Amino acid sequence: MDTETAPTTDHVSDERTLPSWGLVVLAGVVSVVVLSPLAWMVYAGLRVVGAGGAGAILLRPRTLRIVLNSLVLTASVTAASILIGVPLAYLTVRTDLPFRRLFTVALAMPLVIPSYIGAFAFASAFAPRGEVQSLLAPLGVESIPGIYGLGGAVLVITLYTYPYVFITTRAALKSLDTTLVEAARTLRHTRLQAFRRVTLPQIRPAVTAGALLVALYALSDFGTPAILRYDVFTRAIYVEFNSFGRDTAALLSVVLVLVTVAILAVERRSSGGERVSSTRGHTGSDARVRLGRWRWVAVVPCLLVAGLALVVPLAVLGLWLVRTSGAASLRFGLEHVLNSVGVAAGAAVVAALVALPVAHLSARDGGTLPTVFERASYVGYAVPGIVVGIALVFLGSQTPLVNSLYGSAALAFPLLLFAYVVRFLPQAVGSTRASILRVSPALPEAARSLGRSPLGAFRSVTLPLIAPGQIGGAALVFLTTMKELPATLMLRPAGFETLVTFVWRAERSAAYGSAAVPALTLLAVSAVSMLVILSMEGYHVE
Amino acid sequence: MTDEHSMNWTDRETERTRRYFLAAGATGVAGLVAGCGSDTGEETETSTESGTDEGTDPEPTGTASPGSAPSWYGSGPGAFGDRPAPGGTSMDEMPDLSGQLRIYSGRGESLVGDLVAYLDERYPDFDPRVTYDSTPSLASRVDTEKDNTPADVFYSVNAGALGFLAENGYTQSLASETTDLVRSEFRDGEGAWTGTSGRARTVPYNTDRLSESDVPEDIMAFPELTEYEGEIGWAPTYASFQGFVTAMIELEGETATREWLRGMQEVVDRAYSDEFAIAQAVADGDLALGFTNHYYIQRVLAGRPDAPLGTAFTAGDAGSVFNVASAARLEASDRPEQADLFVRHLLSAEAQEYFAVRTFEYPLVSGVEPVGRLPTIDELSVPDVDLSQLSELDRTVRILREEGVL
Repeated sequence: MDTETAPTTDHVSDERTLPSWGLVVLAGVVSVVVLSPLAWMVYAGLRVVGAGGAGAILLRPRTLRIVLNSLVLTASVTAASILIGVPLAYLTVRTDLPFRRLFTVALAMPLVIPSYIGAFAFASAFAPRGEVQSLLAPLGVESIPGIYGLGGAVLVITLYTYPYVFITTRAALKSLDTTLVEAARTLRHTRLQAFRRVTLPQIRPAVTAGALLVALYALSDFGTPAILRYDVFTRAIYVEFNSFGRDTAALLSVVLVLVTVAILAVERRSSGGERVSSTRGHTGSDARVRLGRWRWVAVVPCLLVAGLALVVPLAVLGLWLVRTSGAASLRFGLEHVLNSVGVAAGAAVVAALVALPVAHLSARDGGTLPTVFERASYVGYAVPGIVVGIALVFLGSQTPLVNSLYGSAALAFPLLLFAYVVRFLPQAVGSTRASILRVSPALPEAARSLGRSPLGAFRSVTLPLIAPGQIGGAALVFLTTMKELPATLMLRPAGFETLVTFVWRAERSAAYGSAAVPALTLLAVSAVSMLVILSMEGYHVE
Repeated sequence: MTDEHSMNWTDRETERTRRYFLAAGATGVAGLVAGCGSDTGEETETSTESGTDEGTDPEPTGTASPGSAPSWYGSGPGAFGDRPAPGGTSMDEMPDLSGQLRIYSGRGESLVGDLVAYLDERYPDFDPRVTYDSTPSLASRVDTEKDNTPADVFYSVNAGALGFLAENGYTQSLASETTDLVRSEFRDGEGAWTGTSGRARTVPYNTDRLSESDVPEDIMAFPELTEYEGEIGWAPTYASFQGFVTAMIELEGETATREWLRGMQEVVDRAYSDEFAIAQAVADGDLALGFTNHYYIQRVLAGRPDAPLGTAFTAGDAGSVFNVASAARLEASDRPEQADLFVRHLLSAEAQEYFAVRTFEYPLVSGVEPVGRLPTIDELSVPDVDLSQLSELDRTVRILREEGVL
């Protein structure tokens, strides 16, 4: 704990341990609460084990194959996201790339597009006899490279998740102490050497933090692999769930959680020591790398990535819009927008608040318990929304005291927010934690030595410094909540419709024309929160 | 409760004509629907695994005011011509619905939303609260909520989910005033649930390419259609298709089904993601024939009355399975009379007519006929299978996977 490593002043030592214990308890409570759906999954899974059906399901060859498929998909998407996200972040922060601001926004925006919409768009554009092939048919093009299978799934999931790496890497590059790079250069390091020996170690925690979100998303995504026909583990969960095998679905989800825990452990080991606080962080334009004649060449990959990720779904949504004849058949109104924004904002605020103790504790104390608490917040992120949803249906309807309220909006909304927090808390924790790491512990200590209480020092010194990180994290939760479908469907009060449930309904009845406007509205609202995220990264610890 | 609702009306002594040529535009009906059906032509449904299984609807119309005939009466795009006022039992003869009722609906809002809105408007004291989601998801919810479920009524796309709920004791038998409206083949023997509308498996075919007699009467003979290689459409991810394969496993055995799947893969075009697209492709001539639920064909025809699209039925085998959307009241409901009454309203003349002309399904009460180009239920030659088994897709999905279809 920071209190133990920092130089202590005797007369306040008694008070100091108290808030730390308070912090541990607070973080512990948050972890236990967000892990509570897991308890139901284990309970339901054990029923399958008790009935003797577990062995047959877990040991069948197909299970092994789809676990391997999921791991291959996860590893490929993660690697591809790093290979795309890190260079693009470097180009937009550290070089004199033309239209840097424009590209920064354009390259972050794919995150606002739900990957199932992206997958649907790619499938309808690039499928055999899809839009692109029929455009090219008059030119004699008989077939185009297939979108179905591992390749297509990796492409689409990467395009809609690499921004996690892009955004976290950008933030780290912006607060990078560039004097170190300059020092390396004066020591006759080439640019590449300087990058590897100075820049890379400094941005590595940020890259791995982003990559972790990508990996867990790829592992838990159901829609994209299903649409692009790549058989993964989550599909087995959905198949079970859809054939009244709720408990088997829970058991398989526990397996998914075990895989997640393994990934979390690996990530923690690879990111290693990561105290990156620095009191300097100047990256003046003079520090930018001049690309020279490569300047315009560098535009090509930026255009390609942003173009592919944004233009394909926008074009397909546009086609839906244009092809709708007459009035849209489903009634879409302002209340859908307000409902979406309302629950997403609620989830963002709650997530930002409960992330704070977990993030603060683990940023200031690398011990086992704080690490376990922080890692615990990631578990829900890798559980399919449908399983989180049914787990909360169980908790809401069967927990004594609460259950009398079940079925009323009074409980439905808290349950809905709970589901969002369980699923998306790590985004807030990661962003907040990174911003706390960047604050030197010396700053609140200085305030303490001037007589502030621990809480007072936190409030007057640390909080203003980490607020942008918190807001950025909250905006990320907002944006992903806007896109969330399965738990929303399961837990929303009767008659409560949001943008995504509207899109779901329209797609379900193939009223694609009706889906276009709400889908575009969803993208527009989310785009605003993305701008918030990007504006928060411009902040430096001075 | 398994035997009573099997398809025993198929065991008719008379050998009827078992297949029906339902060419589009054969009569003057075409002119009546031209120009007013374009909206319905764009609608279908999608399905990824085995979740959703339901169709879609035409554009909503204003709901009728109480006492007046519903807006879907008479002629309209779905009616394929003038229809007389339906027979059956009118809502006028039923007690009024009142108070708040919670309904879990696996049927989409675009399908049944207008009907619920009509009831809402017809009875000022009635406040229906509908939760729309996929049928299996809602069934899992009831199974998790147990006696604390807020739902009074469960409305399902198929009989299987209600079979599951009934087996686990979540349903409460319907009143005989309700079940008496439906012939016994279409409901649970103990009244745990009742069918509300039906759908048949059919073979859409392109009437320019082949005639009715070119379509085999035997579903097992389809792999021999090598002359149409690459021109036969199927949608293996679609729940109704999987239900059809399940029926085949029941009727013909697993070995024969696996052989059929292997054989079909030699002649089918790519896998379609939904059956409406298959019906469209057959109408366009891109496919010679395919496998779809009957209403997709009607939906295409409602939008394009002159399309060269016909409906063929196989004879008494898996290719002509008939399944029902169905409803039940839940044991945990604290308003059981109203829940029963709501289900009864789904069997009213008004609702049955709605299903006929708006969703192109088969009405299940006598006195309401399917839309013009469809044979009546009695004319169908349906196999004898247990409906509630058809949504048990575990083994079917595994077989489809093992044969490389999925």
